[in-house]
Amino acid sequence: MVEARGIVRRFGSFTALDGVNFDVRPGEIHALLGENGAGKSTLMNVLSGLLRPSAGELFLEGQPVRFASPADATARGVGMVHQHFLLVPSLSVGENLLLGASARLGGPWSYPLRSVLGEAKALAEQLGWKLPWDALAGSLSVGVQQRIEILKALRGGAKLLLFDEPTSVLTPTETPELFDVIRRLAQEGRGVVFISHKLDEVLSLADRITVLRRGKVVASFARSEADEALLATAMVGEESEAARMLAIPLRSAPQPPVMGEPEGEVPPNLEDRGQKYSQGEPRLTVTELTLNTSGGKPALDRVSLCVAAGEILGIAGVDGNGQTELAECLTGLKLPSSGTITIENQKPTPTPAGFLAAGVTSVPADRQRRGLALSMTLTENLALGTFSDARFRKGPFLSWSALRERTREAIARFDIRAEGPGATAGSLSGGNQQKVVLARALADSPKVIIAVNPTRGLDVGAIAFVHQALRQAQSGGAAILLISTELDEVLALSGRIGVLFEGRLTPASDTSRSALGRLMGGVL
Amino acid sequence: MKLWALILCVGVGLFFLCAVILLAGASPLAVGAALWSGAFGSRYDVGETLVQTIPLVLTGLAVALSFRARLMNIGAEGQLLLGAIAATGVGVLKLPAPIHLPLCLLAGALAGALWSGLAGALKLWRGVQEVLSTLLLNFIAVQLVAWVVRGPLQEAARQFPQSDRLLTPAKFVVLLPGTRLHAGVLLALILTLIVWAFLKYAAAGFALRAVGASPEAAEASGIPLKRTMLTTFLLSGALAGLAGAVQICGVTYLLADKYSPGYGYTAIAVALMANLSAPGVLLSALLFGALTAGGSSVQQAGISSVVIQVLQAIVLFALLAYGWLARRGGRA
Repeated sequence: MVEARGIVRRFGSFTALDGVNFDVRPGEIHALLGENGAGKSTLMNVLSGLLRPSAGELFLEGQPVRFASPADATARGVGMVHQHFLLVPSLSVGENLLLGASARLGGPWSYPLRSVLGEAKALAEQLGWKLPWDALAGSLSVGVQQRIEILKALRGGAKLLLFDEPTSVLTPTETPELFDVIRRLAQEGRGVVFISHKLDEVLSLADRITVLRRGKVVASFARSEADEALLATAMVGEESEAARMLAIPLRSAPQPPVMGEPEGEVPPNLEDRGQKYSQGEPRLTVTELTLNTSGGKPALDRVSLCVAAGEILGIAGVDGNGQTELAECLTGLKLPSSGTITIENQKPTPTPAGFLAAGVTSVPADRQRRGLALSMTLTENLALGTFSDARFRKGPFLSWSALRERTREAIARFDIRAEGPGATAGSLSGGNQQKVVLARALADSPKVIIAVNPTRGLDVGAIAFVHQALRQAQSGGAAILLISTELDEVLALSGRIGVLFEGRLTPASDTSRSALGRLMGGVL
Repeated sequence: MKLWALILCVGVGLFFLCAVILLAGASPLAVGAALWSGAFGSRYDVGETLVQTIPLVLTGLAVALSFRARLMNIGAEGQLLLGAIAATGVGVLKLPAPIHLPLCLLAGALAGALWSGLAGALKLWRGVQEVLSTLLLNFIAVQLVAWVVRGPLQEAARQFPQSDRLLTPAKFVVLLPGTRLHAGVLLALILTLIVWAFLKYAAAGFALRAVGASPEAAEASGIPLKRTMLTTFLLSGALAGLAGAVQICGVTYLLADKYSPGYGYTAIAVALMANLSAPGVLLSALLFGALTAGGSSVQQAGISSVVIQVLQAIVLFALLAYGWLARRGGRA
């Protein structure tokens, strides 16, 4: 029904899709599996008309097509259910359906609410749904909002439906209901593309499974051929090129002296290494940490961990499984619903300032918002970290000359490419911005460092630099919690590894890539 | 690029200005001359310009300070009125002479801070947008003035809706004989310097700017968001309240209904034109002060003084357009 041949999509010098072949047959559920950044969403956006391919061809029912826009794709029968709902919270369900409704329902000045609602109600009836048509979209539960998104995708008689990570926002009871709906839509002859990183969901729902990694199709299975191990290995790969490139500078980095690390190569079994590391004094101890959300399922579910001095504990996992929330709890930005956090057996005051005072610094995931104030100078950005530090205070004033001097040192030490301490953070490249964040986090030999995706969006040189800096902090005796969606990064740096999945932390006893891949896919 | 943008903005602004004046049936040149002589023509006129400038400096600083923390306090007008009420209340009391004026000013600042603190508390603990609350508090303040000059603060004679005159020790001394220029101008200068130094050097001023530049980053680095915001509200309100007290103690010596000609609103234009910098506020307040003071004499050129408001608006639009073009040019 739909076929993509040799699709290439580049963003600048980055190739997100590299010669992808993909097709969907009528009545089929075709799952698209892959890690973060594997190219799943890019392929989906190409199929739904949001992005145009740089090269390659799309065929719709045998005819070559070029979608001018998502609306054009919708008009030709391609509907998309987005991961993040595109509903206007302050409009009613009916009004949301009216937004972007097909133009054939009336002239430019008409207000065809009734005919739009009629079509939607007929569709809802077929699916056995009762929906509150007059309620405000923002007042509805996530599951109901998703149904409205599905109705939006179905209107105009969609023949191909694209679901982008549809279960990521649902509660456990809502997921099977959604699967029933998807199966039903397929039985009626529609083609369905289902994007996920959860192995069990893919295996229970899909007729065919295609695995993407770094923009390429690495494997394609019929349901009967696939099992968890096969899929997990295909998803995370054996060892990526980037990891090989980084291996040399990383392994030559100084090892922590306190650990009594044996000479020579890093032991292949990371768990062995972990046990040696945990002989250091425990720095950060987290017990039964739970963070409830208003949506229902907790963002963090009884997470316990312990990081010793001179150790890097790696937390792997696919985005949106509680990483942000864990980091925010451990830096005082969020107050956990239950559980305890101690730093050297002391409970810090549960505020960002309290955690800073206890010696916890962080490399936040969103460096342009949480990490830096882009319109401020480098000196001011570094001063953010020492705001309540007596060394840089003169009565009610900050000693700016000392702060500038410190910034000059940081620029030299971290090789920050900037005009000087007075340059604004926004004028720096991504890698140099991250160096500023690192310089602030590592400045005063912190006790604990919480680093979240510290190399996201950086080039290979900058990645190596960040890894080197974290290694040095480790050998200086810091306890480092590395939360990253890059499995290579976690494997390269960590002594022990845990995997976050839907807010639960599972320690990885087997740190082979396929075992970690299974845990990241929610298979325990 | 910048020069080109400046010429364009000034040119377009002047064109509209001349068009408005010509439509009103007067000569642009005559109006310009009348404006200049009205603002700077004589010693008295210069004094009047400065008298108009003082409240604009203080309210302009108030607005600039809160805008720097990205708090949209547009309630300088109401805070000024509260300051005026409080200063009048203290000014008509019999108090020891040396501390009478300082007490009036202090009361004004506190009352202004109370008014903005109300908006601050509503924002921080009830999530009310400060744009809305400060604006609505302005309307309440206007009614409050109307009530006190007919009620608790009405003159002993109970004839007009106005207060008694201040006792002499509560008044600012006149600096320049033959003009109305009072010692409040020194206070405005000193406070400009203090606000400038506060923002540039003080830790609390840095916290304020950090919250304005990126609340997320400021919060993550341990700067207390709520405390910083509340402090900013209070300082901003205190400056605006002081403006009201300075008007009472330096210019009118009594409180009357319809007290402010909108200083607190003009202050927003003053602060934006100054790019939210304290020294800039001094200059832009002087410009607006001169336009206001000169405005009364343009009537002699055969045109309504309302044209001055059009002129102020056109000056502001031209400057905002210039700032926008310059920034856009810098990015492209």
